[in-house]
Amino acid sequence: MDAAEFFQYVIAGLKSGSIYALVALGFTVVYGATGIINFAQGEFFMLGGVLAVWFHSLGLPLPVAGIAAVAATALLGVVFERVALRRQRSANPLVLVIITIGASMVIKSLARHLFGPDELSLQEFTPGPSIDVAGAAVERQALWVWGLTIVAVLVLAWLYRRTKLGRAMRACSISHDAARLMGIDTARVVMVSFGIAAALGALGGFAVTPLTQTSWDAGAAIGVKGFAAAILGGLGNPVATVIGGLVLGLLESLSVAFLSSTYKDAISLLVLLVVLFVRPQGLFGKARRGKV
Amino acid sequence: MSVRGAGVTMGGMRALTRAGAALLVAVCLPVVGCAGSGAGGDDGAEPYRIGAVLSLTGSYAGLGIPEKKAIDLEVARINEAGGINGREIEVIYEDDATDAAKAQAAAVRLIDEEGVLAIIGASGTGQTMAMRSDAERAGVPIISMAGGSVITDDFSEWVFQTPWPNRIVVPFVLKQMAAAGHTRVALISDTGGYGVDGRDYVLAHAEEAGVTLVADQTYNAGDTDMSSQMTKIRAADPDAVLIWAAGKEAAIIARNARQLNMEQPLYGGSGIARQEFIDGAAEAAEGVRLGTGRILVPEAFGEGTEAYNVATDFIARYEAEYGAKPDIFAGHAYDAIGLIADALGRIDGDVTSEALRDALEQTNGWIGIDGTFTYSANDHNGLTEDEMVLYIIDGGTWRLDD
Repeated sequence: MDAAEFFQYVIAGLKSGSIYALVALGFTVVYGATGIINFAQGEFFMLGGVLAVWFHSLGLPLPVAGIAAVAATALLGVVFERVALRRQRSANPLVLVIITIGASMVIKSLARHLFGPDELSLQEFTPGPSIDVAGAAVERQALWVWGLTIVAVLVLAWLYRRTKLGRAMRACSISHDAARLMGIDTARVVMVSFGIAAALGALGGFAVTPLTQTSWDAGAAIGVKGFAAAILGGLGNPVATVIGGLVLGLLESLSVAFLSSTYKDAISLLVLLVVLFVRPQGLFGKARRGKV
Repeated sequence: MSVRGAGVTMGGMRALTRAGAALLVAVCLPVVGCAGSGAGGDDGAEPYRIGAVLSLTGSYAGLGIPEKKAIDLEVARINEAGGINGREIEVIYEDDATDAAKAQAAAVRLIDEEGVLAIIGASGTGQTMAMRSDAERAGVPIISMAGGSVITDDFSEWVFQTPWPNRIVVPFVLKQMAAAGHTRVALISDTGGYGVDGRDYVLAHAEEAGVTLVADQTYNAGDTDMSSQMTKIRAADPDAVLIWAAGKEAAIIARNARQLNMEQPLYGGSGIARQEFIDGAAEAAEGVRLGTGRILVPEAFGEGTEAYNVATDFIARYEAEYGAKPDIFAGHAYDAIGLIADALGRIDGDVTSEALRDALEQTNGWIGIDGTFTYSANDHNGLTEDEMVLYIIDGGTWRLDD
């Protein structure tokens, strides 16, 4: 294998990896604010793509359709939190997790009824032949996926570090009760977290649809990968989560190069199991008692 | 059921009830809007009752929905023309939600409660196989619209099939590749039923067709990027790439090949004979060749032939009713209901499931969409490689490859 071919595998891994990272960020944000895993996260990804196709078919220009899809999904995330989860706040986390599973089924069924059973396509943001980088071909759309991932991480990092809301979110992730006693409106933090998580998932779905098409059932598979990436990154800070996604994508791609494509999907599940057994705090997380 | 009453108890209980309600809604939703729409007449003789088990929801909804449309269209046409032997046809639909267990349950219900003469279905291979034992137990013929070779290779006297199985399509495509001088072939297939079945036939027939397999890659349904596999295929330097896949992943593969600047021509089978493949792969679909039946370009039947008239008549009526051209799945369903109607018309004496099975087996030269069917005591598929044509995707649509 020459260097250019190896680099091609790396590019492929980083492409899948950044998709996983965007979904994983959604898991991380919700986990930080509530301590639960939102299994409807994959559906937010699906909605981003499906709604963008729908808005675009109504005649909206592509960027507007994308923003509208992300905004609509974020709104749905907020509504979902208010309607289905808020009143259960004191309930057992397991109940909340089950509610998210139920919600994912409802969202999926509704999407199939509203948008049909077939694959939906979206044009590339900037069509054209792939770009040659050191002998490896890079799709233009992949550059968009990377660019949007970087923007999302920067915005999220800024939000967490520099804003009052972000500080409140971090406080919630340390201790809900303590945060509330300090006068933080924890209910609002949780609601906003769901909105952000939904927007991140939808952004991923929108950016990826030109490459992969989308359909009502696109959320489940990506949800598993995103979850594995989030666990790998330790469900903590956004940068670690993105690295978790990229590492997972690279592992998968290199497993095709050096092992066999048969094992590609087994890799993410294997990673999930190994991390949960050996390093439950993730690759970068500090060991913390009282969680999980 | 008093959900509100339960609400006064502990919050946890209430939460559970809500979660339960959400699940219940999720489970019930797909069923809404798929209630049976049989076309039974009130006057005159009892209609012939035919069951249909289709995947109207779930992963194969894209198959089941056009199948139901085609059946509705044909049943309405037959009944408006006075039915068969003066009796109308009534179809009782069941949705298997792309689930083998539900398909089996549906078959049991149709046989034991509805007393149907025959069952059309299922949309998928796994679902069809799940219905078999009950059809055999009760002696009710089933006509499957799924393409899995196993359906008729693993022979059952009660099971018939309308599409061209991989047994027919794979050798045809391999021979076409060899004829075009592409003897070093790379294969990429999915790990689902269609891909695994197809891959088995590729491995078995490659040598006979005169091609050598230089790469053999797989992927899983739901994968979003196959450029790693295509990089490996590119390194093997094949003359052409054979994609044995269905669903949106096939479009991703074509895009990945284009993105990696691969010059090799791409080939495929019935799995990519869908408009969604062309839409999804966009420019990358241009020049892709695929082998399947003639419905995509009815001129392939030969203008003026009876098969051409049958196909163009169906296409025109389908388009007038639903505003879109029928796809290959609609064709499979047209043939299933058509074969049953033809067999019913040939029965002398009592119309029973057994008489219908015997009449189906005697089908001889019935002209449908998927081809000209001739069933026999050991061939319940009834089609040959002669029904296959090679298409090339050109300008966002199919045309015959020359």
